[in-house]
Amino acid sequence: MPRTLFRSAMFRSALVAALLVPVVHAATPVEAQKARHEHYEKLGKAFKAVRDQTSTDSPDFAVLQQNAEIVNEASVNQQQWFPKGTGPEAGKTRALPEIWSKPADFEAAQKMFSDRAPKLLAAAKAKDVDAVKAAFKDLGGSCKNCHDTFRAPEH
Amino acid sequence: MSDPDPRPASPVEDARVRVWDLPTRLTHWLVVVLVALSWWTAETGRLEWHRWSGYTLLGLVIFRVYWGFVGSSTAKFTNFVRGPRAITSYLKGGWAATAGHNPLGALSVLALLALLIAQIALGLFAVDIDGIESGPLSLYVSFEAGRVAAGWHCDVFNVLLGLIALHLIAVAWYVLFRKQALVAAMVHGERSYPEPQPASVQTASAPRLVIGIVIAVVLTWMVTRAFRF
Repeated sequence: MPRTLFRSAMFRSALVAALLVPVVHAATPVEAQKARHEHYEKLGKAFKAVRDQTSTDSPDFAVLQQNAEIVNEASVNQQQWFPKGTGPEAGKTRALPEIWSKPADFEAAQKMFSDRAPKLLAAAKAKDVDAVKAAFKDLGGSCKNCHDTFRAPEH
Repeated sequence: MSDPDPRPASPVEDARVRVWDLPTRLTHWLVVVLVALSWWTAETGRLEWHRWSGYTLLGLVIFRVYWGFVGSSTAKFTNFVRGPRAITSYLKGGWAATAGHNPLGALSVLALLALLIAQIALGLFAVDIDGIESGPLSLYVSFEAGRVAAGWHCDVFNVLLGLIALHLIAVAWYVLFRKQALVAAMVHGERSYPEPQPASVQTASAPRLVIGIVIAVVLTWMVTRAFRF
């Protein structure tokens, strides 16, 4: 019966799924590049906020912790920001092809970041400025480590 | 001249005149070395050194501006910065030689100094794309503003390079075609001039020099501390 069909749980689930498809459809390579750029910009802002706080004599630990959390989340999430096909072949990006041609090296570089980020958060939570500064410097090293090999120079 | 000169008259025997005092020469060559160092450290990503190089340049430029007001006679702006009429007169050859910058060269000095000041100021506020490396005053501006400053820091440097090239070409022209030993003069401070020789540089007193160094060091230190003490 049509009426029972429309009311069936299976049909409703299918309808919901059909409606959701356009929303959760896989991003196009250009969209993925744009999203990645925005993610890294947010990360850059968080880094600046941490640096600004450590440059003052009385850092705001709430701000430090909040931004250290952004950095920590990004360190895990960035492993999802480089889907295949989002390199220079898809559009303007500084992401180098080596990201996809040397996946093991790239994963190791990403892991260095995600291993070090929690230390910044821990130092911020412990309200230890010197530890924050040390962790920040350490973390900066992991950024540079990856960028040297997998990011094209600015100009 | 009442006393006959025993030497044969020759243009190479022109009398030597002291043109530049030591502080001006030292400032000039330190700026040369530090602009080169700043360039190299920026290109190779040595940002810690780049900051120190920039701070030193800031101190040197502060000192040079101070010296332009109270320093030796040839370093003082009022003694060499001239208007368009003097520049035209110089270009037509109707300008009596004075020790130091000529009216046209004065424009080059002002332009180079202004660009150096702009370049240093932009660097103080610049933020790199990762928010990791930044100038000491960047904590007073947003990430976006810091990025704009960094972009200009890059563009102004290219203009500065262009002006430096122009400066070098002009100096080479004077050395090769006008036989004026300008580079040597900036090294040892003296130059030979034909008759009538211009007056030598009048040096400034040692206390003035010490005050200038103290001002430059203190102001630079304050900037590196972002005015937080």
